[in-house]
Amino acid sequence: MTASGPACRACERRGPELVQLGGGAFDHLVALAGNPNTGKSTVFNALTGLRQHTGNWPGKTVTRAEGTFEREGARYRLVDLPGTYSLQAASADEEVARDFLLFGRPDVTVVVVDATHLERNLNLVLQILEITDRVVVCLNLMDEARRHGVLVDPARLSDQLGVPVVPAVARRGEGIRQLVDVVERVARGEVTPTPFRVRRHEPEVERAVASLERALRAAWPDLSNARWIALRLLDADERIEQSIREGELAALGAGEGASPIDPDAVEGVLEQAGRLRWTLTPDFHDRLMAGLYREAERIAGVALRARPGSGAAEFNRTLDRLLTSRWLGFPIMLAVLTVVFWLTIAGANVPSQRLADFLIEFAHPVLKHAAAAVGMPGWLDGLLLDGVYLATAWVVSVMLPPMAIFFPLFTLLEDFGYLPRVAFNLDALFRRTGAHGKQALTMCMGFGCNAAGVVATRVIDSPRERLIAIITNNFSLCNGRWPTQILMATIFLGALVPAHLAGLVSAGAVVGIALLGVAFMFATSWALSRTMLKGEASAFSLELPPYRPPRVLQTLYTSLIDRTLIVLWRAVVFAAPAGAVIWLIANVRVGDASLAAWAVHALDPVGLVLGLNGVVLLAYVVAIPANEIVIPTVLMLTVLLAGLPEVGAGAGVMFELETAGAVGGLLRAGGWTLLTGLNLMLFSLLHNPCSTTLYTIYRETRSAKWTAVAGTLPLALGVVVCFLVAQVWRLAVG
Amino acid sequence: MGPGSALIAFVVGVVVLVAVAWPRRGVWPRLRRALRLSERVRLEDALKHLYLGEHEQAARSIESLAGVLEVSRSRVVALLGRLEEIGLARAGAAGIELTEDGRRYALRIIRTHRLWERYLADETSLAPAEWHDAAEVREHTLSESEVERLAARMGHPLYDPHGDPIPTAGGDLPPVRGVLLTALEPGQRGTVVHVEDEPPAVFAQLVAVGFTPLARVEVLERSESAVRVRVDGQEGTVAPVVAAQVTLDPLPEAAGDEDAGATMADLAPGESATVVRISSHCQGRQRRRLLDLGLVPGTRVRAELDSALHDPVGYRIRGALIALRRRQAELIHVRRAGGAT
Repeated sequence: MTASGPACRACERRGPELVQLGGGAFDHLVALAGNPNTGKSTVFNALTGLRQHTGNWPGKTVTRAEGTFEREGARYRLVDLPGTYSLQAASADEEVARDFLLFGRPDVTVVVVDATHLERNLNLVLQILEITDRVVVCLNLMDEARRHGVLVDPARLSDQLGVPVVPAVARRGEGIRQLVDVVERVARGEVTPTPFRVRRHEPEVERAVASLERALRAAWPDLSNARWIALRLLDADERIEQSIREGELAALGAGEGASPIDPDAVEGVLEQAGRLRWTLTPDFHDRLMAGLYREAERIAGVALRARPGSGAAEFNRTLDRLLTSRWLGFPIMLAVLTVVFWLTIAGANVPSQRLADFLIEFAHPVLKHAAAAVGMPGWLDGLLLDGVYLATAWVVSVMLPPMAIFFPLFTLLEDFGYLPRVAFNLDALFRRTGAHGKQALTMCMGFGCNAAGVVATRVIDSPRERLIAIITNNFSLCNGRWPTQILMATIFLGALVPAHLAGLVSAGAVVGIALLGVAFMFATSWALSRTMLKGEASAFSLELPPYRPPRVLQTLYTSLIDRTLIVLWRAVVFAAPAGAVIWLIANVRVGDASLAAWAVHALDPVGLVLGLNGVVLLAYVVAIPANEIVIPTVLMLTVLLAGLPEVGAGAGVMFELETAGAVGGLLRAGGWTLLTGLNLMLFSLLHNPCSTTLYTIYRETRSAKWTAVAGTLPLALGVVVCFLVAQVWRLAVG
Repeated sequence: MGPGSALIAFVVGVVVLVAVAWPRRGVWPRLRRALRLSERVRLEDALKHLYLGEHEQAARSIESLAGVLEVSRSRVVALLGRLEEIGLARAGAAGIELTEDGRRYALRIIRTHRLWERYLADETSLAPAEWHDAAEVREHTLSESEVERLAARMGHPLYDPHGDPIPTAGGDLPPVRGVLLTALEPGQRGTVVHVEDEPPAVFAQLVAVGFTPLARVEVLERSESAVRVRVDGQEGTVAPVVAAQVTLDPLPEAAGDEDAGATMADLAPGESATVVRISSHCQGRQRRRLLDLGLVPGTRVRAELDSALHDPVGYRIRGALIALRRRQAELIHVRRAGGAT
């Protein structure tokens, strides 16, 4: 079987949903569906390894992952559908999954089922069986089920469902080979499943369905799923209606010999569906779901063998009661978070220093020598090496170590199952401000990196709560801003107290700023839910999965690779150009002063009103891409404008000094006061999100409006707060 | 500029901003409202009320129109004249009558109004008291294609949140069915079909007692001055004139005590129950999610985990531990495992 022949014919049959992400031709198309939290991604990774691509479904904000695997010379393209509980097309995720199954016409659909929660998972399986025949059930998490005393008999389940069932423990790789075997046999037609279909609805429903089915068959004799389509029309399914109108459905049924669409027939059928809908009770949808669950219960009842009380269930319950208890719940949470933060800060110190030493102290001069040896013109050398390279190196050395520690730790907590309990505990607080408990988690992620926090909001599937979490994520003090905060606190606030208290006071000040950020987050969430986001859609649900022993090494490894790649990508894409801009503004002269001097001069009055100065403002403007380079830029500009050629490394070259004391001396020489330091801390907390975050927000929301809000709201707050603090300070202190 | 003057300037700026931008009462919103009340809007409102008058067999006089539209009598006469000119209404024997075109136009407005109310009720968190006003504005600004898309996306709902039928695109409108609440004897039950949404004060009272389409009502007591009812398990009392604003679909005697009186929120930790049904107050996305998780009638649930702040609570539903907020748990009617309510 060559890769070109059958694939091309197959492609013709498929609808426009099938926009390939790349990867070449294939012989068979396999869809991967399932509830959320069933280990579907583990199955996906096990099948495709590194041969996967991610992107977006056309026109939607839902991520799409595709991969390939080969078996006996045939190539299989695997499409990972979003995890959904149902296929009623009530949310973007469900729409995407349903559309693909219907119009993408996969050769085989693999449904990943969580053996521990069979009934609920069967709801989706039954719905999928209504659409397509060629289904293979992958009964995953068998080890967990066994631990909880749940024993599922795959053979009996397969009997009841009429499709092959393959037991698996995906995270240990068990059952994957058998799964591929079965998929191959179904794809080749060696095994033809005869799926169970829910047929016994209530009499009035059956009457309506039969009548509509007749009309459908009269209009399109070759329609294969008339009964299912009739049910969907009676449930007022928009997508199905649209596909009937546009002839997509007709084309599916007839294949090559499609008869032309008769608009009168189409309208007739749709009108009849509308009239029949009048005769059904308003809770039609409820009854459909009840019917589905009745069948799911029955089937599960046959497939499940007696479940004795198990040790794992007891352990779960005890642990849960401990972690969510009145007295211990919060202290434990605080303790865990403190440990995570402490490990991050303490652990990142030395690696950051080493990276900086290598990239900046060592590699930079080497590159400069090389450039000189090659005879590179001074300006190019400066632009590329002093501007672009330095900025990138800075971002990498500051960002990489903390992120490489923070995120793997978080992923471990998530794997273990602790994070939903945190959301569970804190939900009451968030509910009062109109948000979702899971915002606690995205807020914590934001302390690592705001862009990651925004991506993490995908776990919040209620649109309004998700927007609130996205817009307020910036108030979490991200890793890139910690150095600025610590430095300012040490120089200006620590200097106010005797030396033995200085460390404590500085640390306290930084924690204070972080907590202030949390307070702003709550306040803004409250305000948003009362004003701009008042009328947006909203729904709450939170599942507490059972605790799983985390795969420590595996998680650390994958998380490390993930995070490293993202940081490097970001450094190159966003920080590098910023570096170029910084070098240019310092070295391009207009008239008798550099661009930087002009800009600072222009911004000084504004800066003064805000209790800052022109240097700070300019630094923030050029450092929109990356908060890490604010301080080096500030130092460079201060030196440039104060005309101190013996300090620093030249015009446009960012640098840092050895001790906080030295930095302090330099800044004070540049006119900085305690107010400036304090307001810099406030402004650092409250300014607009960095460009990576803004870009991520746009990608996640697909809305220019909300991206603009997310960008300007914190900035406006920052300006107002700094303004007020400055005026009050000057009034009070003089 | 010294700090003192800067602060004063700031405060003045904030005050001005508030005065201009305050929702509803600020200068800008008032301006926008005045501009919106263009002639077309008034004409459409007039058409709508004329149609509703026809439909409910209550003649609409110039006085009633003037009252509803909040304009002077002479203005109403001018509006009617304009409608006649365009061919949407005419002066008939029994007063002002709509032409066929007028009826069709009015139905479109009503369709948009009710669809928008349904959208607000199902998909947003707007309070019931605000639906009508919001729809009153929207009915004039949505285009026909937008309306069709909205209807399709919501699954062509049949009734608005008050129970009024939503006209189809083709103009079908089944008559309002059912009997008034005041016509039921004590002990009789019914399902709410329609709740009159005007005047707003009365509607607010009805909502407070729990009257909403699909709610189960049992009449407990009826006297000259009050009607005592149990609505979805909750007891309440209303005046007869208020009760007359509710229309019910009577249930046969042997309907069984499905209300049970208890909700999931009433379960103590460790207590089990069987789901009877999800309250009609829970609609749209939220209801679908609950159904997806398996909360259909007959499902066994158990309250298992109380959170640190007592809200949400974790329930064991079909093997999974699902956390629900108190507000949602109160909308799920259950029958306690012990048998007692």
